Amino acid sequence: MDGSSSGIQEPFDLIRLSLSERVFVKLRGDREMTGILHAYDGHMNLILSDVEETIMIVNEGEQATVNVAKRKMDMLFVRGDGVILVSPPSRT
Amino acid sequence: MSFFGFEERTLERGKDRRSEQDEDLAVYTWGEENYDGLGDALQEDHDDLNDETFGAVGELGKDFDFSNQALPDRKNITRSANAIVEDRPPQSSTPLTLESIWDDKSPFSLRLNGSNRTQLPRGESPAISSQHRQQSGIRTLQEIEAEMRVSADQSRQEALLQQRQQQYYLEQQRLQQQQQKQREEEELLLRQEEEREFQRQRLLYQQEQAQQLHLQRFQQQQQLLQQREHQHRRTPPPRMLPVSQSPRFMEHQQRQILLLQHQQEQQQLLRLQQLQEQLRVEELERQLRSQHISSVTPDRQPSGPTLADMEALQHQQLRQQSQSPATRSGPHRPAPLEDSLPYLPQSIQLQQRLLSEMAQAEFLREMQGLSQADQEALRVEAMRKILEAEKMEEKRRRKAAKIAHMSRYNDLMTQSDKDFITRIQVSQLVSQDPYADDFYAQVYGAIVRSRMGLSADDERVLKFGASGGVALGAPTKGGNRRPNAMQRMQQQVERIVSNARKREEEKGLHSLHSLQGALGKTSGRSYKAAPRQLLQVDSSSAPSSSPTLSHAQPHAHISKADSISKSSSEAAADAARIGRETLDNGETLVRMEPLTQREILVTLENMYDLVLNVEQLRRDQPHPEDGEEVLEQWSQDFDKLVDQMWIQLKVMLPLATSTPHPFISLLSAAKGKKILPRVTRHFDQQRMNTLLTLLIACFSQLDIISHAALLDTLEDTPERADVERQTQAFLSSVLQSILPIIVKGNLRLVCGLVGLLMHGQDIVAIAKSRPGLALLTLFLTRVEVIKEGEVDENPTPEDFAQWQLMFDHLFQLLTPEFPLLFPSTRMAEHLPRDQPHINIPGIDSLDQPVWQFLAALALQASSMQHQILVSSLREKVLDNVLSAKKGWVVDEEERSTKLANVDLFLHALGLDSSQITM
Repeated sequence: MDGSSSGIQEPFDLIRLSLSERVFVKLRGDREMTGILHAYDGHMNLILSDVEETIMIVNEGEQATVNVAKRKMDMLFVRGDGVILVSPPSRT
Repeated sequence: MSFFGFEERTLERGKDRRSEQDEDLAVYTWGEENYDGLGDALQEDHDDLNDETFGAVGELGKDFDFSNQALPDRKNITRSANAIVEDRPPQSSTPLTLESIWDDKSPFSLRLNGSNRTQLPRGESPAISSQHRQQSGIRTLQEIEAEMRVSADQSRQEALLQQRQQQYYLEQQRLQQQQQKQREEEELLLRQEEEREFQRQRLLYQQEQAQQLHLQRFQQQQQLLQQREHQHRRTPPPRMLPVSQSPRFMEHQQRQILLLQHQQEQQQLLRLQQLQEQLRVEELERQLRSQHISSVTPDRQPSGPTLADMEALQHQQLRQQSQSPATRSGPHRPAPLEDSLPYLPQSIQLQQRLLSEMAQAEFLREMQGLSQADQEALRVEAMRKILEAEKMEEKRRRKAAKIAHMSRYNDLMTQSDKDFITRIQVSQLVSQDPYADDFYAQVYGAIVRSRMGLSADDERVLKFGASGGVALGAPTKGGNRRPNAMQRMQQQVERIVSNARKREEEKGLHSLHSLQGALGKTSGRSYKAAPRQLLQVDSSSAPSSSPTLSHAQPHAHISKADSISKSSSEAAADAARIGRETLDNGETLVRMEPLTQREILVTLENMYDLVLNVEQLRRDQPHPEDGEEVLEQWSQDFDKLVDQMWIQLKVMLPLATSTPHPFISLLSAAKGKKILPRVTRHFDQQRMNTLLTLLIACFSQLDIISHAALLDTLEDTPERADVERQTQAFLSSVLQSILPIIVKGNLRLVCGLVGLLMHGQDIVAIAKSRPGLALLTLFLTRVEVIKEGEVDENPTPEDFAQWQLMFDHLFQLLTPEFPLLFPSTRMAEHLPRDQPHINIPGIDSLDQPVWQFLAALALQASSMQHQILVSSLREKVLDNVLSAKKGWVVDEEERSTKLANVDLFLHALGLDSSQITM
């Protein structure tokens, strides 16, 4: 891998590989989103397009259930400090 | 002060005095004849000028005239003073009874006890003089009272005189008015001349006022200059003073004052001009009206007497009315216009001016004898004009206030301060390689500039040159300052760049003799800032630069997939080498797994880097005049880069290297599809042909083909959206890049490509996809063009025969699937069974490429094939025509689209939709 990926030297380069590709981002506050990554920087600020955000709402109680709220956006700027992870979308 | 021992002495002295005087106090012999005080010892000389000094004013009465407005005359004062002076000498010898009342034996009283005093100590001499004063003061009080009575009488007389004068003045005015009226009545013919005189006078007035203003301004300027000179001599260094005292602030204030004055003057001048214009306009109107009247009157002779009557009425009314305006304007006119201009608030000025103007206008009108209606109209107009003027005034005032508010901090920095800060900012922006540092801004600027038609030249050296270009190109509304700022910035930048270059050279010289031949980087800025290694050897650099180190590198984290493929670019390189070597020897294949996603992405990122470098290199292409060597070097660099790109594309790998072929795998990412046009731009014809061949050969391996079935589903899933996106990307990027090749390809090439498509690939599946269909249509149309003979090359009959074979084969393969070629048909199969006729929006535009393809097919089809076409597509055609004709359509557009689609096909057959009768 190191031979071909002479470009990969640090973790951020892995994110660089996913530019213009659909990525799955996990955020703080029980949120996830998938979108096409257009840009990132050292803070992990992200610019995504064609985004679908999923918010998990946990109902505490006897039977803990999870409700899900989704919303779509065309273009989104995500502040880096809320990002937990960035990964390629799950491939079946 | 007892400890100093002073007090006792004074006390003693006081005691002495008191003891002396106690004796004296016991004897009261004032006012008696034989009172022999020490009157001879009285010092009564030097009193001659007392009255003049202390202002004794005649007789003193006890009733003061508080109501008297005017001060008593000076003459009276001096007269009484002289009288008093004369009076004094006889009085001084014998003490008056009045005076003796005031006698007081107390040593501390201010009055002198004339008889009993002996030589007094020096300490009381001021008391003596004050007592003198008091004496004379009393006398002068009396005198003052007398004087005031006299002056009161006089002022009353004067008031009477003034009243008489005013009455006289008023009478004179009335006389004048009467005279004026007589004149008016007499000089009807000369009215216009007088008008003009009035206006000239007004103009003169205004000019005088303007001159006065100019004078005032001039004087003020002179004063300011003097002040400034004084300041320049006296001020400490600029930054030592607090802000309020700094010369700049003073200057700033002065400038503000000047500005305000300027503005005021300008406003006044403006108003004067406006008034002049109004006058002119009114004059014109009057003239017009008089002309109109004079032209009308001959026509309206029967109504002449009525006009005369009206005029007579008007005269009377005017006379009644003109008295009030005359009295109003009489005293008003000279005073406010001259004196109050600088002092009164400007609105009042304006109003007064307008009022006076109105009065004048009325006079003139009276002289002219216009009709009553016109008079009214004019008056109304004048009122309206006043109101308008007031509104304009308000607006102007508001604007001026706003401007003043905005500019209250103007001119706080000098030009050198501004330059200083600009230099700092610009130094941060300037960079050696603007395209690398700020690519997007530069490119965007270039696009905008090209759209606006090359307004600015190519500014590459300066990073912000792009923004400068945009600013120059874009319309600058408030941009009068910008050209200057730009020029200054450019100067700054030139300075900085030259400094940087000098520093570079210096550094070069420096590095030459100290670090010559060393492999490593030296730090750019000063070495003093932080102690660091003078030479930094980059241990983590790519293997190519440090061959010894590459083996020493630990292989971190080898993933499973990657370990299999070893290092795939090396493998690819090997394979390419082998492939090239074995082209003549037959193929030896290195069979590989398909590229992993990771590998694909890594390769693509490398491709992007290469493409950027190539584009940068392209931009730096040296001019032919720069020299042979430079050009040579550049060409070499360029070719090397392009070769690298070619290798990275993995096009040369044998076909069967993997399924999908690495090249096809690269194209499975949207990134890959998008980068292809940028890469192929730099390839020559041969490489392009190879690329195209490979692409066609492995066409069915493309992701869009294999996933095309998803597009026929109706539900909007993310996968479907993804496939849609990829398809779109392919159509716009990849097809676009291979289009030029096909369009110029000869028949043999097309034949081969079509054959490739069919050989070992599912042509039906390809045809069911949009890109595949587009490709096929492209081929067919190209052949059509070749057949029509509009090309340079001359295909041989063998080529034609070959093509015919291909065509027939294609036709044969596709015939059973003709209906399914249509998205509408395919989608309809996905509809729920119970609702077979749901109208899918936009289905007709999706169908259109299919109809086009079929038309292209039909163009080259034989009559047998025509028949087959017609029979298989019959239902489809009828379906469309029916729905169009019977109105089973949503709107007009859809109907026309349906018919157009059908016509596309039918025209190729030589038929038309109208021929179909239902």
